[in-house]
Amino acid sequence: MKLSPGNPLSAKPDIETSHADEFVEQLRCVNDSLPSRINIDAQSVEQGLAKLVLTLIEFIRRLLEKQAVRRMEGGDLSPEQIEELGLALMQLEAKLQELKTQFGLTDQDLNLDLGPIGRLI
Amino acid sequence: MSSPFDQIIINETGDQIEETDLSLLETLDHVLNRGLVIAGEITISVADIDLIFLGLNVLVSSVETANEVLRQREPETK
Amino acid sequence: MKLYAYCLTEDIDELTDGLTGVAGATVRLLKLQGFSLLVSDFADEIVAVTRDNALNHAAVVRSVLDRTTPLPFRFATLVTESELGSYLATRREALQAKLELVRGCVEMSVKIIWDRDWAQDSVGDEVQKKPGTAFLVEKRREILGGEARASEAKKIESWLRDRVGENVRETRINTNPTEKLILAAAHLVERGTVAKYRETLKDARSERPELHFLVSGPWAPYSFANIDLEFTARFGVS
Repeated sequence: MKLSPGNPLSAKPDIETSHADEFVEQLRCVNDSLPSRINIDAQSVEQGLAKLVLTLIEFIRRLLEKQAVRRMEGGDLSPEQIEELGLALMQLEAKLQELKTQFGLTDQDLNLDLGPIGRLI
Repeated sequence: MSSPFDQIIINETGDQIEETDLSLLETLDHVLNRGLVIAGEITISVADIDLIFLGLNVLVSSVETANEVLRQREPETK
Repeated sequence: MKLYAYCLTEDIDELTDGLTGVAGATVRLLKLQGFSLLVSDFADEIVAVTRDNALNHAAVVRSVLDRTTPLPFRFATLVTESELGSYLATRREALQAKLELVRGCVEMSVKIIWDRDWAQDSVGDEVQKKPGTAFLVEKRREILGGEARASEAKKIESWLRDRVGENVRETRINTNPTEKLILAAAHLVERGTVAKYRETLKDARSERPELHFLVSGPWAPYSFANIDLEFTARFGVS
Protein backbone atom coordinates (compact mmCIF):
# COMPACT_ATOMS: atom_id res chain seq x y z
CA MET A 1 0.00 0.00 0.00
CA LYS A 2 1.53 3.27 -1.16
CA LEU A 3 1.77 5.91 1.53
CA SER A 4 1.98 9.60 0.86
CA PRO A 5 3.82 12.02 3.15
CA GLY A 6 0.48 13.28 4.37
CA ASN A 7 -0.59 9.83 5.47
CA PRO A 8 -0.88 9.60 9.27
CA LEU A 9 1.09 6.37 9.24
CA SER A 10 4.30 8.10 8.20
CA ALA A 11 4.35 9.94 11.52
CA LYS A 12 6.01 8.44 14.59
CA PRO A 13 3.80 6.28 16.81
CA ASP A 14 1.71 8.58 18.87
CA ILE A 15 0.55 8.15 22.43
CA GLU A 16 -2.83 9.18 23.69
CA THR A 17 -3.64 9.30 27.36
CA SER A 18 -5.07 11.61 30.01
CA HIS A 19 -3.01 10.03 32.75
CA ALA A 20 0.60 10.21 31.62
CA ASP A 21 2.15 10.17 35.10
CA GLU A 22 0.34 7.00 36.15
CA PHE A 23 1.42 5.17 33.03
CA VAL A 24 5.01 6.37 33.38
CA GLU A 25 5.03 4.85 36.86
CA GLN A 26 3.58 1.52 35.74
CA LEU A 27 5.74 1.23 32.64
CA ARG A 28 8.84 1.83 34.73
CA CYS A 29 7.80 -1.22 36.76
CA VAL A 30 7.33 -3.30 33.63
CA ASN A 31 10.75 -2.36 32.33
CA ASP A 32 12.37 -2.80 35.74
CA SER A 33 11.49 -6.46 35.95
CA LEU A 34 13.34 -7.34 32.76
CA PRO A 35 16.00 -10.00 33.17
CA SER A 36 18.03 -8.44 30.41
CA ARG A 37 21.13 -7.53 32.35
CA ILE A 38 23.46 -8.04 29.40
CA ASN A 39 26.66 -7.22 31.17
CA ILE A 40 28.93 -10.03 32.16
CA ASP A 41 30.92 -9.33 35.27
CA ALA A 42 31.20 -11.62 38.25
CA GLN A 43 28.94 -9.64 40.51
CA SER A 44 26.09 -9.33 38.08
CA VAL A 45 26.33 -13.01 37.18
CA GLU A 46 25.95 -13.93 40.84
CA GLN A 47 23.05 -11.59 41.13
CA GLY A 48 21.57 -12.98 37.93
CA LEU A 49 21.73 -16.51 39.29
CA ALA A 50 20.52 -15.43 42.72
CA LYS A 51 17.64 -13.67 41.07
CA LEU A 52 16.67 -16.78 39.14
CA VAL A 53 16.88 -19.02 42.20
CA LEU A 54 15.04 -16.62 44.47
CA THR A 55 12.35 -16.07 41.87
CA LEU A 56 11.70 -19.79 41.82
CA ILE A 57 11.66 -20.01 45.61
CA GLU A 58 9.35 -17.02 45.74
CA PHE A 59 7.06 -18.77 43.28
CA ILE A 60 6.93 -21.86 45.48
CA ARG A 61 6.45 -19.80 48.60
CA ARG A 62 3.41 -18.11 47.10
CA LEU A 63 2.04 -21.46 46.05
CA LEU A 64 2.41 -22.67 49.62
CA GLU A 65 0.64 -19.62 50.98
CA LYS A 66 -2.26 -20.12 48.63
CA GLN A 67 -2.49 -23.77 49.58
CA ALA A 68 -2.42 -22.92 53.28
CA VAL A 69 -5.22 -20.39 52.92
CA ARG A 70 -7.22 -22.92 50.96
CA ARG A 71 -6.80 -25.50 53.70
CA MET A 72 -7.78 -22.93 56.29
CA GLU A 73 -10.91 -22.10 54.31
CA GLY A 74 -11.66 -25.76 53.88
CA GLY A 75 -12.21 -26.06 57.63
CA ASP A 76 -10.24 -29.26 58.15
CA LEU A 77 -7.47 -27.64 60.20
CA SER A 78 -7.62 -27.10 63.94
CA PRO A 79 -6.89 -23.61 65.33
CA GLU A 80 -3.53 -24.92 66.56
CA GLN A 81 -2.62 -26.24 63.12
CA ILE A 82 -3.60 -22.96 61.52
CA GLU A 83 -1.41 -21.10 63.98
CA GLU A 84 1.57 -23.39 63.34
CA LEU A 85 1.16 -23.15 59.58
CA GLY A 86 0.92 -19.37 59.78
CA LEU A 87 4.04 -19.08 61.91
CA ALA A 88 6.03 -21.34 59.58
CA LEU A 89 5.02 -19.32 56.54
CA MET A 90 5.83 -16.09 58.36
CA GLN A 91 9.32 -17.38 58.98
CA LEU A 92 9.69 -18.43 55.36
CA GLU A 93 8.69 -14.97 54.21
CA ALA A 94 11.15 -13.37 56.62
CA LYS A 95 13.95 -15.70 55.52
CA LEU A 96 13.37 -14.90 51.89
CA GLN A 97 13.36 -11.20 52.72
CA GLU A 98 16.80 -11.65 54.31
CA LEU A 99 18.10 -13.36 51.20
CA LYS A 100 16.71 -10.64 48.97
CA THR A 101 18.48 -8.01 51.06
CA GLN A 102 21.74 -9.96 51.00
CA PHE A 103 21.72 -9.97 47.21
CA GLY A 104 20.41 -6.45 46.89
CA LEU A 105 17.24 -7.57 45.13
CA THR A 106 13.87 -5.89 45.47
CA ASP A 107 10.42 -7.37 45.27
CA GLN A 108 10.15 -5.87 41.83
CA ASP A 109 13.24 -7.77 40.71
CA LEU A 110 11.55 -11.01 41.63
CA ASN A 111 8.22 -10.02 40.21
CA LEU A 112 6.78 -13.06 38.58
CA ASP A 113 3.54 -13.00 36.73
CA LEU A 114 2.04 -16.41 37.24
CA GLY A 115 -0.11 -16.02 34.12
CA PRO A 116 -2.48 -18.89 33.42
CA ILE A 117 -0.92 -20.99 36.17
CA GLY A 118 -1.64 -18.22 38.63
CA ARG A 119 -5.29 -18.68 37.93
CA LEU A 120 -5.11 -22.42 38.34
CA ILE A 121 -3.42 -22.46 41.73
CA MET B 1 20.96 -3.35 42.52
CA SER B 2 20.35 -0.87 39.78
CA SER B 3 17.68 -1.99 37.40
CA PRO B 4 18.06 -2.37 33.66
CA PHE B 5 15.89 0.72 33.41
CA ASP B 6 18.40 2.84 35.33
CA GLN B 7 21.04 1.57 32.95
CA ILE B 8 18.99 2.78 30.06
CA ILE B 9 18.43 6.27 31.26
CA ILE B 10 22.08 7.06 31.79
CA ASN B 11 23.41 8.82 28.74
CA GLU B 12 26.84 8.60 27.15
CA THR B 13 28.44 11.17 29.45
CA GLY B 14 27.24 9.29 32.49
CA ASP B 15 24.73 11.89 33.69
CA GLN B 16 21.47 10.56 34.95
CA ILE B 17 18.55 11.79 32.91
CA GLU B 18 15.33 12.51 34.71
CA GLU B 19 13.50 10.47 32.14
CA THR B 20 9.76 10.65 32.32
CA ASP B 21 9.28 10.47 28.61
CA LEU B 22 6.23 8.30 28.13
CA SER B 23 6.99 7.63 24.50
CA LEU B 24 10.43 6.33 25.44
CA LEU B 25 8.92 3.93 27.96
CA GLU B 26 6.27 2.71 25.54
CA THR B 27 8.92 2.16 22.88
CA LEU B 28 11.07 0.21 25.33
CA ASP B 29 8.10 -1.90 26.33
CA HIS B 30 7.68 -3.03 22.74
CA VAL B 31 11.28 -3.36 21.67
CA LEU B 32 12.62 -5.13 24.75
CA ASN B 33 9.78 -7.47 25.58
CA ARG B 34 8.63 -8.82 22.24
CA GLY B 35 9.70 -9.85 18.77
CA LEU B 36 11.06 -12.82 16.84
CA VAL B 37 13.43 -14.99 18.79
CA ILE B 38 15.98 -16.88 16.71
CA ALA B 39 16.47 -20.55 17.46
CA GLY B 40 19.74 -20.84 19.33
CA GLU B 41 18.63 -18.35 21.92
CA ILE B 42 17.61 -19.76 25.22
CA THR B 43 14.17 -18.85 26.36
CA ILE B 44 13.15 -20.25 29.72
CA SER B 45 9.51 -19.61 30.33
CA VAL B 46 7.11 -20.20 33.15
CA ALA B 47 3.41 -19.74 32.44
CA ASP B 48 4.22 -18.14 29.07
CA ILE B 49 6.37 -15.48 30.65
CA ASP B 50 9.97 -15.39 29.48
CA LEU B 51 12.23 -15.42 32.52
CA ILE B 52 15.45 -15.51 30.57
CA PHE B 53 15.83 -14.67 26.92
CA LEU B 54 19.53 -14.05 26.63
CA GLY B 55 21.30 -15.05 23.48
CA LEU B 56 23.05 -18.38 23.67
CA ASN B 57 26.48 -16.78 23.44
CA VAL B 58 25.66 -14.55 26.37
CA LEU B 59 24.27 -17.34 28.51
CA VAL B 60 27.29 -19.54 27.85
CA SER B 61 29.53 -16.71 28.96
CA SER B 62 27.47 -16.38 32.12
CA VAL B 63 27.86 -20.03 32.98
CA GLU B 64 31.59 -19.98 32.35
CA THR B 65 32.02 -16.87 34.43
CA ALA B 66 29.85 -18.39 37.14
CA ASN B 67 32.14 -21.43 37.30
CA GLU B 68 35.09 -19.07 37.51
CA VAL B 69 33.50 -17.27 40.42
CA LEU B 70 32.71 -20.48 42.26
CA ARG B 71 36.23 -21.80 41.73
CA GLN B 72 37.69 -18.60 43.11
CA ARG B 73 35.52 -18.72 46.22
CA GLU B 74 36.24 -22.33 47.17
CA PRO B 75 39.51 -21.67 49.08
CA GLU B 76 37.59 -19.21 51.29
CA THR B 77 35.08 -21.76 52.48
CA LYS B 78 37.61 -24.44 53.24
CA MET C 1 31.53 -10.95 12.21
CA LYS C 2 28.12 -10.96 13.74
CA LEU C 3 25.05 -9.29 12.40
CA TYR C 4 22.55 -7.34 14.41
CA ALA C 5 19.14 -8.30 13.05
CA TYR C 6 16.33 -5.75 13.17
CA CYS C 7 13.48 -7.26 11.23
CA LEU C 8 12.37 -9.52 8.43
CA THR C 9 10.08 -8.52 5.58
CA GLU C 10 8.68 -9.68 2.31
CA ASP C 11 10.61 -8.66 -0.77
CA ILE C 12 11.63 -5.01 -0.68
CA ASP C 13 14.22 -3.28 -2.81
CA GLU C 14 15.46 -0.26 -0.98
CA LEU C 15 15.85 1.28 2.43
CA THR C 16 15.41 4.78 3.75
CA ASP C 17 18.66 6.68 3.27
CA GLY C 18 21.19 7.15 6.01
CA LEU C 19 19.65 4.79 8.51
CA THR C 20 21.74 4.54 11.65
CA GLY C 21 21.41 1.42 13.70
CA VAL C 22 22.64 0.01 16.96
CA ALA C 23 26.14 1.10 17.99
CA GLY C 24 26.03 3.69 15.23
CA ALA C 25 26.43 1.13 12.46
CA THR C 26 24.93 1.53 8.99
CA VAL C 27 21.85 -0.53 8.34
CA ARG C 28 21.69 -2.55 5.14
CA LEU C 29 19.35 -4.81 3.29
CA LEU C 30 20.20 -8.50 3.21
CA LYS C 31 18.40 -10.87 0.92
CA LEU C 32 18.47 -14.40 2.22
CA GLN C 33 16.38 -17.50 1.59
CA GLY C 34 13.74 -15.50 -0.22
CA PHE C 35 13.30 -13.02 2.61
CA SER C 36 14.50 -9.46 3.01
CA LEU C 37 16.20 -8.55 6.27
CA LEU C 38 17.47 -5.38 7.81
CA VAL C 39 20.82 -5.91 9.48
CA SER C 40 23.93 -4.07 10.53
CA ASP C 41 27.42 -5.24 11.43
CA PHE C 42 28.12 -5.74 15.10
CA ALA C 43 31.62 -6.17 16.45
CA ASP C 44 31.02 -6.92 20.13
CA GLU C 45 29.82 -10.11 21.78
CA ILE C 46 26.94 -8.53 23.66
CA VAL C 47 24.55 -5.68 23.10
CA ALA C 48 24.31 -2.95 25.72
CA VAL C 49 20.75 -2.24 26.79
CA THR C 50 20.93 1.51 26.41
CA ARG C 51 18.36 4.12 25.52
CA ASP C 52 20.06 4.95 22.25
CA ASN C 53 20.36 1.35 21.12
CA ALA C 54 16.74 0.61 21.93
CA LEU C 55 15.51 3.75 20.18
CA ASN C 56 17.70 3.09 17.15
CA HIS C 57 16.34 -0.42 16.91
CA ALA C 58 12.80 0.94 17.03
CA ALA C 59 13.56 3.60 14.44
CA VAL C 60 15.06 1.11 11.99
CA VAL C 61 12.06 -1.19 12.28
CA ARG C 62 9.79 1.83 11.99
CA SER C 63 11.43 2.97 8.77
CA VAL C 64 10.07 0.06 6.75
CA LEU C 65 6.59 0.28 8.19
CA ASP C 66 5.62 2.81 5.55
CA ARG C 67 6.33 0.33 2.80
CA THR C 68 5.44 -3.03 4.24
CA THR C 69 4.70 -4.75 7.53
CA PRO C 70 7.88 -6.30 8.98
CA LEU C 71 8.35 -8.99 11.59
CA PRO C 72 10.63 -7.34 14.16
CA PHE C 73 13.35 -9.34 15.85
CA ARG C 74 13.67 -9.03 19.57
CA PHE C 75 16.15 -6.41 20.69
CA ALA C 76 19.75 -7.67 20.86
CA THR C 77 19.39 -10.43 18.29
CA LEU C 78 22.93 -11.22 17.17
CA VAL C 79 23.58 -13.89 14.55
CA THR C 80 26.06 -14.91 11.91
CA GLU C 81 24.80 -14.89 8.36
CA SER C 82 24.88 -18.67 8.23
CA GLU C 83 22.87 -19.03 11.47
CA LEU C 84 20.35 -16.64 10.03
CA GLY C 85 20.23 -18.63 6.82
CA SER C 86 19.54 -21.88 8.68
CA TYR C 87 16.88 -20.23 10.79
CA LEU C 88 15.09 -18.91 7.71
CA ALA C 89 15.36 -22.17 5.80
CA THR C 90 13.99 -24.30 8.62
CA ARG C 91 11.26 -21.87 9.62
CA ARG C 92 10.26 -20.78 6.16
CA GLU C 93 6.64 -21.86 6.32
CA ALA C 94 5.97 -20.49 9.78
CA LEU C 95 7.55 -17.16 8.86
CA GLN C 96 5.59 -16.91 5.63
CA ALA C 97 2.41 -17.65 7.54
CA LYS C 98 3.30 -14.88 9.99
CA LEU C 99 4.00 -12.41 7.20
CA GLU C 100 0.64 -13.37 5.73
CA LEU C 101 -1.05 -12.75 9.06
CA VAL C 102 0.39 -9.27 9.53
CA ARG C 103 0.26 -8.17 5.92
CA GLY C 104 -1.33 -4.76 5.49
CA CYS C 105 -1.64 -4.26 9.24
CA VAL C 106 -0.04 -2.34 12.08
CA GLU C 107 -0.05 -2.93 15.81
CA MET C 108 -2.03 -0.67 18.11
CA SER C 109 -1.49 -0.87 21.83
CA VAL C 110 -4.02 -0.33 24.63
CA LYS C 111 -3.05 -0.27 28.27
CA ILE C 112 -5.58 0.12 31.07
CA ILE C 113 -5.03 1.21 34.66
CA TRP C 114 -7.61 0.64 37.36
CA ASP C 115 -6.46 2.33 40.52
CA ARG C 116 -8.33 0.47 43.17
CA ASP C 117 -7.46 -1.28 46.41
CA TRP C 118 -8.53 -4.84 45.71
CA ALA C 119 -7.82 -6.32 49.14
CA GLN C 120 -9.99 -3.65 50.74
CA ASP C 121 -13.14 -5.20 49.42
CA SER C 122 -12.87 -8.39 51.42
CA VAL C 123 -15.10 -8.89 54.43
CA GLY C 124 -13.49 -7.59 57.64
CA ASP C 125 -12.48 -10.35 60.00
CA GLU C 126 -12.30 -10.21 63.77
CA VAL C 127 -8.94 -9.20 65.17
CA GLN C 128 -6.64 -12.20 65.46
CA LYS C 129 -4.61 -12.42 68.65
CA LYS C 130 -2.33 -15.20 67.49
CA PRO C 131 0.40 -14.02 65.05
CA GLY C 132 0.49 -17.08 62.78
CA THR C 133 -3.25 -17.03 62.32
CA ALA C 134 -3.28 -13.27 61.77
CA PHE C 135 -0.67 -13.79 59.08
CA LEU C 136 -2.80 -16.32 57.26
CA VAL C 137 -5.94 -14.25 57.60
CA GLU C 138 -4.17 -11.28 56.04
CA LYS C 139 -2.87 -13.50 53.23
CA ARG C 140 -6.40 -14.69 52.67
CA ARG C 141 -7.55 -11.09 52.30
CA GLU C 142 -4.82 -10.43 49.74
CA ILE C 143 -5.49 -13.61 47.83
CA LEU C 144 -9.21 -12.95 47.63
CA GLY C 145 -8.39 -9.43 46.46
CA GLY C 146 -6.12 -10.90 43.81
CA GLU C 147 -8.87 -13.17 42.62
CA ALA C 148 -11.35 -10.31 42.44
CA ARG C 149 -8.83 -8.38 40.37
CA ALA C 150 -8.24 -11.29 38.01
CA SER C 151 -11.93 -11.74 37.47
CA GLU C 152 -12.41 -8.03 36.71
CA ALA C 153 -9.48 -8.15 34.31
CA LYS C 154 -11.21 -10.93 32.42
CA LYS C 155 -14.41 -8.88 32.24
CA ILE C 156 -12.54 -5.87 30.91
CA GLU C 157 -10.85 -8.05 28.34
CA SER C 158 -14.24 -9.25 27.21
CA TRP C 159 -15.68 -5.75 27.15
CA LEU C 160 -12.78 -4.48 25.07
CA ARG C 161 -13.19 -7.32 22.64
CA ASP C 162 -16.86 -6.47 22.20
CA ARG C 163 -16.07 -2.82 21.55
CA VAL C 164 -13.20 -3.02 19.08
CA GLY C 165 -13.40 -6.65 17.93
CA GLU C 166 -14.69 -5.98 14.45
CA ASN C 167 -11.86 -3.53 13.69
CA VAL C 168 -9.16 -5.91 14.81
CA ARG C 169 -7.61 -8.84 12.94
CA GLU C 170 -5.99 -10.38 15.97
CA THR C 171 -5.38 -9.67 19.67
CA ARG C 172 -2.69 -10.47 22.21
CA ILE C 173 -3.48 -9.84 25.86
CA ASN C 174 -1.36 -9.51 28.98
CA THR C 175 -3.68 -9.38 31.98
CA ASN C 176 -1.26 -8.89 34.81
CA PRO C 177 1.58 -6.60 33.83
CA THR C 178 1.66 -4.80 37.21
CA GLU C 179 -0.66 -4.23 40.15
CA LYS C 180 -2.35 -1.13 38.77
CA LEU C 181 -2.00 -1.96 35.10
CA ILE C 182 -4.87 -4.36 34.84
CA LEU C 183 -4.70 -5.02 31.11
CA ALA C 184 -2.30 -4.54 28.25
CA ALA C 185 -3.64 -5.43 24.83
CA ALA C 186 -1.98 -5.50 21.42
CA HIS C 187 -4.31 -5.24 18.44
CA LEU C 188 -3.46 -6.11 14.86
CA VAL C 189 -5.37 -3.54 12.83
CA GLU C 190 -5.55 -3.09 9.06
CA ARG C 191 -3.96 0.19 7.99
CA GLY C 192 -7.12 1.54 6.47
CA THR C 193 -9.07 0.77 9.65
CA VAL C 194 -6.81 2.56 12.13
CA ALA C 195 -8.84 5.77 12.15
CA LYS C 196 -12.08 3.87 12.75
CA TYR C 197 -10.37 1.84 15.47
CA ARG C 198 -9.30 5.03 17.26
CA GLU C 199 -12.82 6.45 17.04
CA THR C 200 -14.37 3.29 18.42
CA LEU C 201 -11.90 3.28 21.31
CA LYS C 202 -12.63 6.92 22.06
CA ASP C 203 -16.33 6.13 22.41
CA ALA C 204 -15.64 3.02 24.46
CA ARG C 205 -13.44 4.88 26.92
CA SER C 206 -16.24 7.22 27.89
CA GLU C 207 -18.28 4.21 29.02
CA ARG C 208 -15.76 3.36 31.71
CA PRO C 209 -14.73 6.55 33.56
CA GLU C 210 -13.12 4.55 36.38
CA LEU C 211 -10.56 3.16 33.95
CA HIS C 212 -7.52 5.07 32.72
CA PHE C 213 -6.44 4.36 29.16
CA LEU C 214 -3.26 4.67 27.18
CA VAL C 215 -3.49 4.11 23.45
CA SER C 216 -0.33 4.07 21.37
CA GLY C 217 0.58 3.24 17.82
CA PRO C 218 1.00 2.53 15.04
CA TRP C 219 3.78 0.08 15.78
CA ALA C 220 5.34 -2.72 13.80
CA PRO C 221 3.75 -6.00 14.98
CA TYR C 222 6.16 -6.69 17.85
CA SER C 223 3.55 -8.62 19.80
CA PHE C 224 2.53 -10.82 16.89
CA ALA C 225 5.91 -11.70 15.44
CA ASN C 226 7.14 -14.53 17.59
CA ILE C 227 6.50 -17.84 15.85
CA ASP C 228 7.57 -19.80 18.91
CA LEU C 229 5.19 -18.11 21.28
CA GLU C 230 2.44 -20.64 20.73
CA PHE C 231 4.73 -23.41 21.88
CA THR C 232 5.78 -21.71 25.09
CA ALA C 233 2.16 -20.82 25.84
CA ARG C 234 1.06 -24.42 25.53
CA PHE C 235 4.03 -25.64 27.49
CA GLY C 236 3.33 -23.25 30.34
CA VAL C 237 -0.34 -23.98 30.70
CA SER C 238 -0.36 -27.79 30.63
